[in-house]
Amino acid sequence: MTATADRPVPLEVEPRRRGQPGSIVGWLASTDHKRIGLLTVGTALLLMLVAGGLALTIRGQLAQPQLHVLTTDRYDQFFTIHGSLMIYMVMTPFAIGMGLYLVPLQIGAPNVAAPRTTMFAYWLYVTGAVAMLSGFFTDSGAADHGWYAYPPLATSRYTPGQGVELWIVGVALAGLGMLIMAGTVLWTVLLKRAPGMTMLRLPVFSWSVVASNLMVIGAFPALLAAVGILAVGRVRPNLFTHNQWNIGYQDVFWFFGHPVVYVMFFPYVGAAAEVLATFASRKFFGYKFFVISQLLFAALSMSVWGHHMFTTGQSSNYYFSLTSIALVIPAGIEYFDMLATLVGGRLRFPTAMCFALAFIPQFLVGGLTGIMSGTPALDYQIQDSYFLVGHWHYTLAAGSLFGLFAGVYFWFPKATGRMLREGLGKVHFWLWFIGTNLTFLPMFWLGFHGMPRRIPTYLPSDGFTTENLISSIGAALLGLGAMVFMLNVAESLGRPRFADPDPWEGHTLEWATSSPPPTFNFSARYPVPPVHSYAPLLDLRKEREQAQLGVR
Amino acid sequence: MPFRNVFDQALTLWSAIAAVVFFLVSIILLGAIARNRANRRDTLPFQASKNTPLELGYVVALALIVGGLVFGSFLWNSRLHDGVGLAQAETAPAARINVTAYRWCWEFAYQGAPVRVTGECSTGDFPTVVVPAGQPVEFDLTSQDVVHAFWLPDFAAKRDAYPDHINTLRMIFPQQGRWRGRCSEYCGTHHMTMDFYVQVVSPAQYQQFLHSGGAGV
Repeated sequence: MTATADRPVPLEVEPRRRGQPGSIVGWLASTDHKRIGLLTVGTALLLMLVAGGLALTIRGQLAQPQLHVLTTDRYDQFFTIHGSLMIYMVMTPFAIGMGLYLVPLQIGAPNVAAPRTTMFAYWLYVTGAVAMLSGFFTDSGAADHGWYAYPPLATSRYTPGQGVELWIVGVALAGLGMLIMAGTVLWTVLLKRAPGMTMLRLPVFSWSVVASNLMVIGAFPALLAAVGILAVGRVRPNLFTHNQWNIGYQDVFWFFGHPVVYVMFFPYVGAAAEVLATFASRKFFGYKFFVISQLLFAALSMSVWGHHMFTTGQSSNYYFSLTSIALVIPAGIEYFDMLATLVGGRLRFPTAMCFALAFIPQFLVGGLTGIMSGTPALDYQIQDSYFLVGHWHYTLAAGSLFGLFAGVYFWFPKATGRMLREGLGKVHFWLWFIGTNLTFLPMFWLGFHGMPRRIPTYLPSDGFTTENLISSIGAALLGLGAMVFMLNVAESLGRPRFADPDPWEGHTLEWATSSPPPTFNFSARYPVPPVHSYAPLLDLRKEREQAQLGVR
Repeated sequence: MPFRNVFDQALTLWSAIAAVVFFLVSIILLGAIARNRANRRDTLPFQASKNTPLELGYVVALALIVGGLVFGSFLWNSRLHDGVGLAQAETAPAARINVTAYRWCWEFAYQGAPVRVTGECSTGDFPTVVVPAGQPVEFDLTSQDVVHAFWLPDFAAKRDAYPDHINTLRMIFPQQGRWRGRCSEYCGTHHMTMDFYVQVVSPAQYQQFLHSGGAGV
């Protein structure tokens, strides 16, 4: 390890801005993409704790049959807000916020394009999150119609109360914020790259953000339209006595709802890919195919929404099954490239690498069960059962969340200038590796045994008890792991071990500047190095090694 | 073919493929972790960061696999007639039942007979729909209020019930017996208790049931 506990601030690190006057205002009105990015991912992590708390309560309620931890109405609110927070307020904003922080650094740009607009986007997001959560303080409680809010259930006739209205406002504001933020980051990639940084030299992570943000631009307007339709339904619920508005809402919603699944996936697979390549000490294998696969993935993602609707009898089974199963091609390419990188690498195993490695088989379970739910004959059984809950928790929690934490452990030193503790990191990893699989694997069997999703309890005679108990024990391990992570962050900030500019022997430009980077990312002391490939720092390191060999 | 048979066939084949893929990926992953530790290797196992023929060949292989998967998915979907279950033309249904879902129970009305069955699900009084064994049965599903879903977990059959829309589900129940059905589309407070039972009886008993105006069988 290159950092030690008691060493003073190394010379290469620029003076910290901690003591700067007006620093709170400096954060809240910042035009620095790093600060806005950190605010976004920090807010998302805080909300993840809230959503996790809701999930743990849900697992508590389901640990045994006929428990009364929550009333039915509270339970309905908890699963609605758990899902809504994780999707609209945690995984999506974290993905886009991570792109906002890293992409300008990775492409050698001094800042994001349109920084004030980007800050406005953050404020829209925070306001939306506050609006959604404030539903808990209304008389009728928070929204309880599920995260995709199907009408007519979500109309004022069947779900009265301000909770739903606050949910609609919250989703609209956060969705608009994310749309804007994705747009400014995309603009940055297209127009603000450093000399030599061609599109086909963008780091793998930056490409994943490009593909992801393209989907945001294509899909999030549909979300705004969908919640607009819902808003009309709050005033005129009679609209939804007509079938075309109900099925139409579902089409519009899932036109957003499936691409967003990949918005919550791409940047994390990109992060995992950077981590894998870095700790395999080699160039990422199959860069061009990876880039093409991401773009193909993004394009296909806009044409698969009807696979959420096979049981409606109003979807096109053949078409949507074809497009959904075709996703195997880009996903298969990504897996090939990640595995080839590992097979051809010299591997080191810090915590970030552990999370990235576990991402591979765990997301695979989500992907393989996804082929099942993309097959209508199977979907008729598993749709809206716990099998489906298991399926997308494997993609989002066992998959994306592991990519997210690979990214957190990898870039934390860059963003804060402090190293996270490896020991605590490993404890976090193993608790989550075991906890995740204990929690979500039994759900597949629950689905086959006929447990519908969104039921607040069950009877001993249903035969769901053992699997639910195992699942709840796993969830407790996840909670414990989250606490270890918080302890790790507190320890690292409270008793800092300072980070060098490049503690991991990174490949991309962000590791060429100080930790944390100066205001405009690069400076006279930390210039943008020459860029000849998608791993410019690896190139430099090799050139240096060869020069040394030549001298000898 | 019955939903259940198609489901079992599809699940068996897809699970086998999934197991092979998972096994392969895990072996490669664990092999790399075991053999490529930095302290056991001084140099990279191989330098290349691309291999276009290999990658193109792999894409072609993937495309062939996708072709196979799509073929299977299409075949099973056609056997289930797009989720309707049986083709209308095969045989005229022996029983046509209008199923109305509402918050929070079910009503079953037999077409051509003055028989209606309903209950009070939230108090444990679940309705039982009686159908003849070995003969095609058609459920015409609709809803009075929000979206529900008619799910028979033991038969792997599911179809949503919408207001202002009728979805058709045609099935043959081969054996006599009694099975639980559930609502699987979340519909509000008492979603959990929105159950019903399907009682499959002999055709003679079924006729008797209809003639007696829905008396117990």
